[in-house]
Amino acid sequence: MTILKTTKLLATTAMLLSGTMLAAQAEDYTITVWAGGTGDTSNYRYDNIVMAADILEREAAIRGEELNITVETQAWSGWDDFKQAVTLAAEAGNAPNIIISGHEDIGPWSQSGLLRPVEDYVDFDAWPLNAIYPNLYDITSYDGVVWGIPQDAESRPFFYSRANLKAIGWTDADIEALPGKVASGEYTLYNMIDDAKKMQDAGVVEAGKGFVPRPSNGPDYWQFYISFGGEMVDAETGKLVLDKQAMTDMFQFFVDAADAGVVPATHLGSTWDAFHEAVANDQAGFWHAGTWTVSEWQTKWGLEDFFGQMQYSLIPAGNENGKANTISHPLVYLLSNAGTDDDAAISAELISIASEPRFNALHAVKSGKVALSDAQASIPLFANDRWAGIATTELLPHATAIPNDVEFGPYWTAMFKNLEASWTGTVSVEDAVNALEAEVTSALGDKIIVR
Amino acid sequence: MRTRTSLLGLGFVSPALALLFAFFLMPVVLTTVFAFTNMSTATGITGGSHVITGNLLRDLGNAGIDNDVITALGEASFSVTSETLAAAADAGVEPRFLGEIEARLMGQNFEDARSFESALKSLPSRPTRIRELKLATEPFERSILNTRYASRADMEAAITSMAPDAPAETISTIAEASYTGWRWIDGGNFQTLLDRPETIRIVLNTVFYVAATLAFNVFVGLFLAITTFYLPKTGAGFFSVLWLLPRITPVVLYAVMWKWFTWDNGFLYVIAEQLGLPAFNYMKGSVPTAWATIILVNGFVGASFGMILFSGALRAIPIQQLWASEVDGASRWQQIRQIILPQLRWPILFVTSYQTLSLLSSYEQIWLTTNGGPGSTTTVWALEAFNTALNNYTGNLEYGMGAAMALILVAVGLVLSILYLRMFRFDELVNKPRIEF
Repeated sequence: MTILKTTKLLATTAMLLSGTMLAAQAEDYTITVWAGGTGDTSNYRYDNIVMAADILEREAAIRGEELNITVETQAWSGWDDFKQAVTLAAEAGNAPNIIISGHEDIGPWSQSGLLRPVEDYVDFDAWPLNAIYPNLYDITSYDGVVWGIPQDAESRPFFYSRANLKAIGWTDADIEALPGKVASGEYTLYNMIDDAKKMQDAGVVEAGKGFVPRPSNGPDYWQFYISFGGEMVDAETGKLVLDKQAMTDMFQFFVDAADAGVVPATHLGSTWDAFHEAVANDQAGFWHAGTWTVSEWQTKWGLEDFFGQMQYSLIPAGNENGKANTISHPLVYLLSNAGTDDDAAISAELISIASEPRFNALHAVKSGKVALSDAQASIPLFANDRWAGIATTELLPHATAIPNDVEFGPYWTAMFKNLEASWTGTVSVEDAVNALEAEVTSALGDKIIVR
Repeated sequence: MRTRTSLLGLGFVSPALALLFAFFLMPVVLTTVFAFTNMSTATGITGGSHVITGNLLRDLGNAGIDNDVITALGEASFSVTSETLAAAADAGVEPRFLGEIEARLMGQNFEDARSFESALKSLPSRPTRIRELKLATEPFERSILNTRYASRADMEAAITSMAPDAPAETISTIAEASYTGWRWIDGGNFQTLLDRPETIRIVLNTVFYVAATLAFNVFVGLFLAITTFYLPKTGAGFFSVLWLLPRITPVVLYAVMWKWFTWDNGFLYVIAEQLGLPAFNYMKGSVPTAWATIILVNGFVGASFGMILFSGALRAIPIQQLWASEVDGASRWQQIRQIILPQLRWPILFVTSYQTLSLLSSYEQIWLTTNGGPGSTTTVWALEAFNTALNNYTGNLEYGMGAAMALILVAVGLVLSILYLRMFRFDELVNKPRIEF
């Protein structure tokens, strides 16, 4: 429903007429697919579209139609380059047909007219889209419109080195009981700082390696805000929320961790390689990462016995205001406004086929993601993968998602910038939170509630 | 004759004028225009359309728009009537399918698309492709929610069709608010920059970066030029080429080499470890080493620039002056202070002013090395402008704000240029020589 009215009428006429006229003619389509944040283990993100094209061609052949689809794929390992490419390509009228990105882009991209609502092109009552968990469609919706189809989902747990915990006197039973204690709020982030300090004092891990957070910006940092009782969206009004107390406590936590010496004040901006090297080889005590990184540690960093070497849990609560939690950041298939309505219709059919549980299972198992449907969870490849199962059944139920709000990007950018500033000690926590408040209220006005 | 020469001159300059217009004037003009807007990813650059969404209705309700109007605009229904059937026929819905809709669903009302679609799906002649089915539902829809209208007049007409009793003023307010494109916000971006506490930090970072790098450029450039001047010609040539390497190496490769040099397990790291010195990622691991890294990274590139200019100028000094001074028993140091430096005044001033301006707007080496970190401790104005407008993690590209930042840089650059021209009396430099050699 976002295409301009006149275009829509033309498209309707053309499409409905063509239904009868062109049935016997060969149809050629070139569909471009761009995927962001897609590393070595995530090739099925776009390969599934290629396989879907094969199936769609075969289906057409059975109906007696000749359909030729060329799928051109391109993947970016990072997000900034990818989002820049999509945005600028769209401004120049060269957007790809299918965009695979984070769901939070739906807000700004739908406002700018970059997207077509996927709900105008697919049938949610038909297989396989009707099998996908309905709450995932809430995440891919904005303003009452379903804009995307969930491509994958994950959770972002906390990890512990079993060997290093034992070195400071933990027993196996203690370690097994830890996830439960975290979930109940008994074991908090500040307990973690104490234990990380113990590890460093005992010489089990190097100074500054007790606690290794994500070295760059990511949805992960909102988890710590929730750990201290923060809320991103006001349930009643649907507006964004800046909970100053929770934000202060969260900033203070990282400053305290740096003061205790368990994480360097200059940790943000360090390299991912250093991160993986440390956590995959028992050189760190505590860290947090997405479920998919486990497969990365196994394939690239020499991790052999994941369950024997590491323990996992939700992100612990920070204080009595907050709760243990995790964030899921589903990626979504989006339809761009590029090309003709027919291109979009074909793209939508490809997305639907690529959402077959078996296809999604290939991606989920290879890249350590969770199931998007019960059907996917029961595919043997997925069902036999212990970590994928745990991520789906133990962690995902506690997951929240970041909002799709069009204004969330500026809020997020400002949050991280000020977290960085206080963490590095260049400004006090109080000043950082005040600066954040000043920035978001001047940029968003009454679209954000400050508590 | 005179006019013809001028025309010829104009002909010769015209390519340069065209290039100046396309690559200097236009960007500055566009930057100026963008700087006074709220242009971003969400608003797009080329303009927007008008659309009423659920969120907009909520906001309008909060802003005091009459509730009846809000409710009317939020209504969405699908009804099969003779009018909608006619509209569907006009839109080209297949006649047999349309006949079935008329026969089985006439007079029915559906509250949402899903229920209407499932009713259509039960008809025998339903289209096989889901997109065709969806398009066939549209003529039956009565809703303006989430429909994009190209012009404001279309939007106002649509609002009137849904809420005929709404006062003209309300319609105008809603149409105005429904615009998705960018708007003029006067000096809003500059005000925001003034209000942001981090602005001052970035300014200070920039001043420090430019001053430190400039000092390195000029002093090292001078040092290299003078030392190679006293070296035998063949050796001097070799060293000059060596110092040119940072400039002629592609910038990405150059940055990668610095990473190998300064990162964990890199060259410096290994040596420091052997010597028992603190070994860490020097590029990103601490604020002083991060600053040292970017000043050196940029400094070495600039030093070769200074070196070439100064070397050229040195060769222009009449060698007899040096011979004469040696006869008088002058030391090397005295030669440098009394003969060489005074005659290098103009090149030094030129390098200083030129490098100030180019360092002010440079960010690519910083972006590729520390990327403004750790934290934002090495973020300079140009890098911040680039990140704001074109490159950030959340993909929220704020073209308007980035342009405002760039415009400030242009203004600072212009002011500095004028200051330099005044201070160093460039007009004297380019004057006709008073003595003919």
